Amino acid sequence: MHALKKPKAIRIAILWRTRRMLRKGGAAARKFMPARSSLSNVIYWVVIGFLFLPLFVLVLYSFNSGRQATWQGFSFEWYQKLVMASPELWRAFLNSVIIAFGSAMMSTIIGTLAAVGTARYSFKLKSFVSTMSFVPMILPEIVVGVSLLIFFAGVGLKLGLATVWIAHTTFNLPFVYLLVSARLEESDPSIVEAARDLGANEMQILFRIILPMALPGILSAFLTAVTLSLEDFVITFFVTGPGGTTLPLYIYSMIRFGVSPVINALSAVMVAGTVLLIYPMRNFLKVFAAR
Amino acid sequence: MKKQVGLYYSLPQIMWLLVFFAAPLGIIIAYSFLKKGLYGGVEPQFSLEAYTAMANPNILIVTWRTLKMSVIATILTLLIALPCGYSIARSQNQAMRLFLVIVPFWTNFLVRIYAWIAILGNEGFLNDIIRALHLRSESVQFLYNQTAVILVLVYMYLPYAILPLFSTIDKFDFTLLDAARDLGASRFQSYVRILLPNIKSGLVTAGLFTFVPIFGAYAVPLLIGGKDSYMLGNIIADQLTKTRNWPLASSISMTVTILTTGLVFLIAMRKPREQKQVFDADPGLITPVASGGR
Amino acid sequence: MKGADVDIVGVSKFFGSFQALKNVSLSISKGEFFSLLGPSGCGKTTVLRLIGGFEEPDSGTIAIEGKNVIGLPPDKRHCNTVFQSYALFPHLSVFENVAFPLRIRKIPQQLVREKVMRYLSLVQLEMHAAKKPSQLSGGQRQRVAIARALINEPSILLLDEPLSALDAKLRQHMLMELDAIHDKVGITFIYVTHDQQEALSVSDRIAVMNMGEVLQIGTPRQIYENPATEFVARFIGETNVFSLKILSIDGTKIYGEVDGLGPMFVDDETDAKPGETVLATIRPEKIRISADLPNTNGGRINVLHGIVAEPIYSGFQTKYVVQLDTGMMVTVYRQHANWSEGIPDIEWKDEVYLSFSASDMVIVEMHEQ
Ligand SMILES: Nc1ncnc2c1ncn2[C@@H]1O[C@H](COP(=O)(O)OP(=O)(O)OP(=O)(O)O)[C@@H](O)[C@H]1O
Ligand SMILES: [Mg+2]
Repeated sequence: MHALKKPKAIRIAILWRTRRMLRKGGAAARKFMPARSSLSNVIYWVVIGFLFLPLFVLVLYSFNSGRQATWQGFSFEWYQKLVMASPELWRAFLNSVIIAFGSAMMSTIIGTLAAVGTARYSFKLKSFVSTMSFVPMILPEIVVGVSLLIFFAGVGLKLGLATVWIAHTTFNLPFVYLLVSARLEESDPSIVEAARDLGANEMQILFRIILPMALPGILSAFLTAVTLSLEDFVITFFVTGPGGTTLPLYIYSMIRFGVSPVINALSAVMVAGTVLLIYPMRNFLKVFAAR
Repeated sequence: MKKQVGLYYSLPQIMWLLVFFAAPLGIIIAYSFLKKGLYGGVEPQFSLEAYTAMANPNILIVTWRTLKMSVIATILTLLIALPCGYSIARSQNQAMRLFLVIVPFWTNFLVRIYAWIAILGNEGFLNDIIRALHLRSESVQFLYNQTAVILVLVYMYLPYAILPLFSTIDKFDFTLLDAARDLGASRFQSYVRILLPNIKSGLVTAGLFTFVPIFGAYAVPLLIGGKDSYMLGNIIADQLTKTRNWPLASSISMTVTILTTGLVFLIAMRKPREQKQVFDADPGLITPVASGGR
Repeated sequence: MKGADVDIVGVSKFFGSFQALKNVSLSISKGEFFSLLGPSGCGKTTVLRLIGGFEEPDSGTIAIEGKNVIGLPPDKRHCNTVFQSYALFPHLSVFENVAFPLRIRKIPQQLVREKVMRYLSLVQLEMHAAKKPSQLSGGQRQRVAIARALINEPSILLLDEPLSALDAKLRQHMLMELDAIHDKVGITFIYVTHDQQEALSVSDRIAVMNMGEVLQIGTPRQIYENPATEFVARFIGETNVFSLKILSIDGTKIYGEVDGLGPMFVDDETDAKPGETVLATIRPEKIRISADLPNTNGGRINVLHGIVAEPIYSGFQTKYVVQLDTGMMVTVYRQHANWSEGIPDIEWKDEVYLSFSASDMVIVEMHEQ
């Protein structure tokens, strides 16, 4: 009776909950005591509605025929246009991918080395390195973008894909350093001592012990860098030049200079892509989120 | 000899950050003390013009507005995020609930801004509905004002606050709430006196993660806001690209930098013990998109 | 201070589709030290949480001092809880933890000081008032939890395995202290434990639970000497169980037969009729072990024959596991009293006789499978 009054989503959640409890048995269910405050649950679902509303609207309009925003009937027109008639968009997409993987690669290599250096050894400049690696993260993007633009202009570097790559590597570095350091700190230092005791030299310790142990951290750092880079708009906006248009920049120009409904289709595809990308990872999310 | 090994490992990163982070920052510090060039650029001549120019009422107004809007947006975000984080932490199905928060969060930044234009625009979803319901015949202007900007800012940065709050609350021992109730506290008292003090680090992290990027926001006020909702980020960009007053762009950038880093360090330093926790509470999910304001 | 009585009648509790409590009824009197004893997961904490007001029953009633308390939130009930994990507030000092209930009630600072110090001295922690819970030892934390739960002067104190986090030695000590505190404050203690020794040594009465059901309620002596079911007999201490086919009954004098062992005398009450099979139990310490055939003088003494399969020496006594001729294992305790010197030691693989009196045997209900 009571459950019927609740919104459907909550009922579904309760269903899931009981199913899981049945599956896992009492002891496991025990740890997850249900939230007693139903108010927080209501707020949660309202917020989820708020968070999804824009995505829903985008997907809806992407199937709208006609140019107007008002609903004029169902069509796949914009998806066709997206695939067939948007060479610039695909160019921008390719740029984004190149930059994402290029900058993630570079920052992962450099950042991992530094993380190993500071986690494993103590040296004079150690705290300088860790502090300095942390500062770029807390600067507003606009400042990073502006200073890089002025810098590139000052040293006479032509703006384009290369400067975008440099900028992305720069803002990715702190995140890579942080994630890999965290991972290295978790691992037991006596393992390295044991390896040394067993006769391994520095290089062997690095390649056979430290890096394999830090691999999950390094991978998540790399993926983080890829997503950060794919996402970035502001910094890229300042440091890009001819030939350096990334996907976010392309979307920006579409928004600013005449909205074509193709953008709805593109957005819907990107939303779907995000869902498909994260859904298989959903069970790791907590581990990920709680690190 | 051995002592230096760590330095060698760190050398590439030091060099990279010196060249591409410290040097550019140094340059804008220097530029902020130089005279403005005629067609952009600077004249190599010391001057405090860029700083005195900041006393310009227009810039002061924008600074005040930026501060005000960031504080409002941050507080709103925290108020909404707190019960959400709590609800996820107490849920039987944390993974699913996190997933639902993260999907919109990992959707491309500009796509999300665009979506709000599609909702709030004159020809947008909301006006569509209003017309369909015959509430009004002409469209209502939802976009291009401060309220719209704050709404979208809250939307953008809500997950930044929910995730660290969730991960802190998840570590909280909920029997403490039972204990407080047992000892005579009302439900509200048990939250205020027991839950809040124990998740302070999460609140601080969530606050920083939202305030810092919102304070430097650029894209949201540019695309959602009108002239009355321009923020410091927009002024900087305008000075750089339109007015071509590089020293002024630099001095405003410096101001933003000092204000935000100052805030972060103040909070981190005030309680040295908590500094580590600030980062402990940093979920991996936050970092993917937490590189500052757009 | 005075205690209150608690009446639980026919309470059931479901978590989802899992029934954690099945028709539980308990009646606890004023000032009693009442223990809930049972294996992990049997529902002890759930009973406590129902009394404390943290859960509501799906059916049945709970009354404190004769007043129905269902629907009353925890802060409106005159009972306080010492939690299994103590649930000390980590951000507050020892003093502030104990002062918490007073602060909630907005008691003036002067009175707070005085009262908190009084309760801290009750648990001998005056010296540690300024410390944070993380700076205390396990036993000290537990005492803070007790002081905090007592300071509101509840009429019932609920203790959820308060000693489980302590080591054996400290557990003994704290148990005695708890008993002393109970004597001093005189309120009702409802004490949850899965340790039968703990329950036996301090309780006025014990309720033994298993799988959400209350199997028996009684004084420690009743529970131990006269277990109602096989489960109770086995859970409280050790016991030997024979399945006895009844041949004749004369009042409480039962004569029966155990498969392969022959006739057996049991003195106990039973509803069973001749021809039926019941479970007859005998405690290990009530069995005499000897190398020679004991003289029964024609009394109602049972004698069994077997071989020592395992002698386990443990200082104050030796435990013998004896294999009977049928293959059944019987456990026997033999105390090392002075007088046992001179009696030849019984060792591994020795042939022995076990003898025990019919009056020491107890018939228990069969455990439902
Ligand atoms: N909130 C809950 N949700 C689901 N199942 C629960 C919940 N609380 C208790 N249970 C289940 O009810 C049963 C009894 O739990 P309870 O905590 O009362 O056991 P217990 O006797 O205190 O055990 P222990 O000695 O381990 O503390 C267990 O099987 C447990 O898994
Ligand atoms: Mg328990």
